[in-house]
Amino acid sequence: MKLNFILFLIFCMCSCEKEVFIAQLPYSSKVSIQGIIEPDSIPIVYINRTVPYLTGSTKSTDVVVRNATVRITATGETDLLKLDSMYDKVDCRYNYYYKGAIKTRRNTMYTLEITDGSKVYSATASTNLAPVAIDSVTYIANFNDLYGEHEGILTYFKDIPNEINYYRYEMLRSIDSTVRRGEKTLYGSCLNKDTVKYRELGRAVYNDLNLDGQQIKIVIEPAFSHNKGVVGLILIQSIDKATYEFYDQLDRQKLGQYNPFIEPFFLKPGQFGNDALGFFGSRIHSVPFRFTYPE
Amino acid sequence: MENIRPVSFITFLLTILSISGYGQKVTISGYVKDSDTKESLIGATVFEAKLMKGSTANEYGFYSLTLPDNDTLNVVFSYTGYKPEMRQFVSKVDIRLDIVLKSSNLLNEVEVTAARNDDNVNKAQVGVIAVQMREIKNLPVLMGERDILKIIQLLPGVQQAQEGSTGFLVRGGNTDQNLVQLDEATVYNPNHLFGLVSTFNINSINGVQLIKGGFPAQYGGRLSSILDITSKDGNKEKYQVEGGIGILSSNLTVQGPLIKNKASFIISARRSYLDLAEKVFLPASTTLYSFYDINAKLNFELGKNDKIYLSAFKGRDNGSFTGANSLNYAIGFGNSTATLRWNHLFGSKLFANTSLILNDYDLGLSTTQGNYYSLLYTGIKDISAKVDFTWLPGSRHTVKFGATYFYHTLFPASFSSKIPLNGNRVQIDRNLVPKKYSDEMAIYLNDEWNLNETFGINYGVRIPYFVSYQKTYTFIEPRITAKLNINKTTSIKASYTVMNQFLHAVPYSTASLPMDVWISSSSLVKPQNSQQYSLGLFKNLQENLFELSVEGYYKEMTNQVLFKQGTQLTLDSNIEDQLTFGNGTSYGVELFAKKNTGRLTGWASYTLSKTTQTFADLNFGNPFPFTYDRRHNLAIVGIYDINSRWSVSANFIFRSGNAYTLPPGLIPVAQDGSLYDGHYYDYTTRNNARLDPYHRLDVSFSYKRERKIFGRKYQSELVFSAYNIYSRQNPYFVYLTVDPITNTPHAIQVSLLPIVPSISYNFKF
Repeated sequence: MKLNFILFLIFCMCSCEKEVFIAQLPYSSKVSIQGIIEPDSIPIVYINRTVPYLTGSTKSTDVVVRNATVRITATGETDLLKLDSMYDKVDCRYNYYYKGAIKTRRNTMYTLEITDGSKVYSATASTNLAPVAIDSVTYIANFNDLYGEHEGILTYFKDIPNEINYYRYEMLRSIDSTVRRGEKTLYGSCLNKDTVKYRELGRAVYNDLNLDGQQIKIVIEPAFSHNKGVVGLILIQSIDKATYEFYDQLDRQKLGQYNPFIEPFFLKPGQFGNDALGFFGSRIHSVPFRFTYPE
Repeated sequence: MENIRPVSFITFLLTILSISGYGQKVTISGYVKDSDTKESLIGATVFEAKLMKGSTANEYGFYSLTLPDNDTLNVVFSYTGYKPEMRQFVSKVDIRLDIVLKSSNLLNEVEVTAARNDDNVNKAQVGVIAVQMREIKNLPVLMGERDILKIIQLLPGVQQAQEGSTGFLVRGGNTDQNLVQLDEATVYNPNHLFGLVSTFNINSINGVQLIKGGFPAQYGGRLSSILDITSKDGNKEKYQVEGGIGILSSNLTVQGPLIKNKASFIISARRSYLDLAEKVFLPASTTLYSFYDINAKLNFELGKNDKIYLSAFKGRDNGSFTGANSLNYAIGFGNSTATLRWNHLFGSKLFANTSLILNDYDLGLSTTQGNYYSLLYTGIKDISAKVDFTWLPGSRHTVKFGATYFYHTLFPASFSSKIPLNGNRVQIDRNLVPKKYSDEMAIYLNDEWNLNETFGINYGVRIPYFVSYQKTYTFIEPRITAKLNINKTTSIKASYTVMNQFLHAVPYSTASLPMDVWISSSSLVKPQNSQQYSLGLFKNLQENLFELSVEGYYKEMTNQVLFKQGTQLTLDSNIEDQLTFGNGTSYGVELFAKKNTGRLTGWASYTLSKTTQTFADLNFGNPFPFTYDRRHNLAIVGIYDINSRWSVSANFIFRSGNAYTLPPGLIPVAQDGSLYDGHYYDYTTRNNARLDPYHRLDVSFSYKRERKIFGRKYQSELVFSAYNIYSRQNPYFVYLTVDPITNTPHAIQVSLLPIVPSISYNFKF
């Protein structure tokens, strides 16, 4: 009996894992575009090239599309965007983007046109969104939702009635190398002893389906650890449909990557057709709401 | 299709039967049984040598053969592994004749030549395989457990779904498209121990038949196959005890007469003892695994024309599995069935069986992989009734007709989430899971008509009717198989069948786990439908010593069900809202060569096939490979009797790897990169990658001897066996991970079973 049992334990329970070589599947690189405009702000468009999953370099210096011609036009004006960069001390890298020179106006239709070699990608977005006002913000240490149990910042605001609206959460706060992102501290980052202002965004985006004109609650898991008394500025972005659909797909795909019980999520072709991924959309921020962590 | 009237087809069928007039005839009918146990010999052949006309015994051992009243009739009764019996008759009136055949333990091939069945060539049936109990009892075992479903997976056109699984796939269909029946009761999950062994205890089984194409009209409700398992009636002559002690479990079967030659019983039970050992060797909080199953059957002969059978089955598994770091799961499931059957003979040509059947299935599964967990609960309760008639008007026709009714109750629920920090996971309360009710009915008529020595057809129609919450579905399912003999040992057969399926097991997640949620058809979920065409060439050599066949098939399946991409079910989810529907196509060629008798027996089967699916909402609407689309599937099986005591058996399996989805492209994210780990994926094609091929060799040695205990003889058998003898790490699934330091992706393959040696001991008093 004992022998039988030990044999069973040895042979039945020793399922094993090993790293296996997988050949890179054939893949044609595409252009990835993320462009978002906001009234009274200079337009910024990120343009990168996608890479083969297993063999491609993901360094920002390697993937940026450097020689594109990027224009944003509206009635009576054209803004020619130039390649620019900014050093990200948290992730220790340069972020490259195309930056315009003319501030975006309200209630205006804009067209983004990108020429990359022989290919031209274009899409339109309107800055006709209205901001919402945050009613209140509270904190909960244990919140359960699709993403599991996490601490949550609960933000309440009233939906704009009689129209379909889309929203995203944002928090501005200061961080230094002592904070943790997930289970890791930022000691290994390039912050050194600096404190930087950081813009935390919610990965999930929301719509007002069945909640038109009603109060909406958004619960967000903060990206960084905090201490009691830390202050953040909470904002709600009103975003347009193109922005919502793009970020909603990314969120669903990430759920599928993390959770093995979810099917892979394929990104559907968007405003730029089959040759380019991404979106060109607009947003507008609410008035910031000052929030202090209670614990 | 739903509106076609069946009347014209049935009228046509009956007209054909009515014009098949006969002159002076005599009918011989009765039962064919084993001489020692009086167990029915299913599929025994009854053959008149001069007239070259024959019949076979049905699943209750009943036969009927109508012949011209010649001066002398020479009828041979035969069955594989038994000595044939010949009877001579001179009669002008119908004869009732129950025959007993003696088992032949001789290895001499000549001795049993006449017993070899040539139905594979001469019957108008295609895609039908009757598995011999001898084959089941001699093939390699896994942890001491012999298994019917493991044998089924070695047949052409049939594949194992996953390592360590008795789930099987037939001609490109999913596992839910196979109807597994034990004494006519549906067994929804015929597995024990994560699917390593089936719920069917071979000591209690009398016959196994697999139908994978050319379905006769009496079968329906599934698209891909019918696995019909008949349990033993119990020895009517004497009490008999047999059992086995294995590394994993032990089993015991007791059978004997209640009233000699009139009534008998059989009770068979099996239990694993890992959980008992755990109590000794593992901490109290550790749960590993336990399973049991019990088969019981009573039968009474109420007279020459009436028999009653009462059979019941109950099996249950409870356990947990701690495998590789990435995969842990806990499971509890069980099947219970009860069948009451009444056989009645109306004269010598009409056989009737009426059945009342209950079955109850439930499965609860909790799975953890990495930081995520998933819960699944799925249950089915059926109450069903059937009446089946077999009318044998002459030696050329076998007419079957009848009706079935099912009352289904299904209760599915599923949930998936990240593991809470405090460890408190959501629980599914099965009492709160909403129930779905539906009714399924069908009538059928089928005729197997041998027009002459050369040509025969098996044709019929089945008309299913399904109701679920005011939504009804009615279909006409024509079935036809035609056979053309080129000569006595060679035939060509073709078939066309239409099937519909009203219950669906939707695979939840691609994590290669047994996570199927059973749902019924509704206004949103249309019944699955298939049309299958098959064509085959069948050849027997050396008086049926060798069977050869090549068979091609083409199958189209509509209303296939999958979850939408990105579906994450919660307890509030309406499952039907999360589904997407599409079509499937499967085609292939199956080669089969078998040696039936002699010291060396066995077979080789090879299937070349391709299966694709097309869903408007998946893969950008483009066709993609079915997860279990395996181009090559080879099985070689051999059993060699070294002498009267020792035998060796082996099987080798090779098959192409499963399809799975890999992202070919990566999209670096600059803006808001921390939300997406710096990247997201560009998936271009679903199921675009393949696991490594699967192959393994299993070997088994058996030593049989007659021994004595307390002066009484008994048969003993010691079995030494090794599963996956060269311990290949076959892929179970592959997952991707990203090195947090180098940010480079890696693929990790999880394997399940290395070499598994075992010893078991079987006995029979």
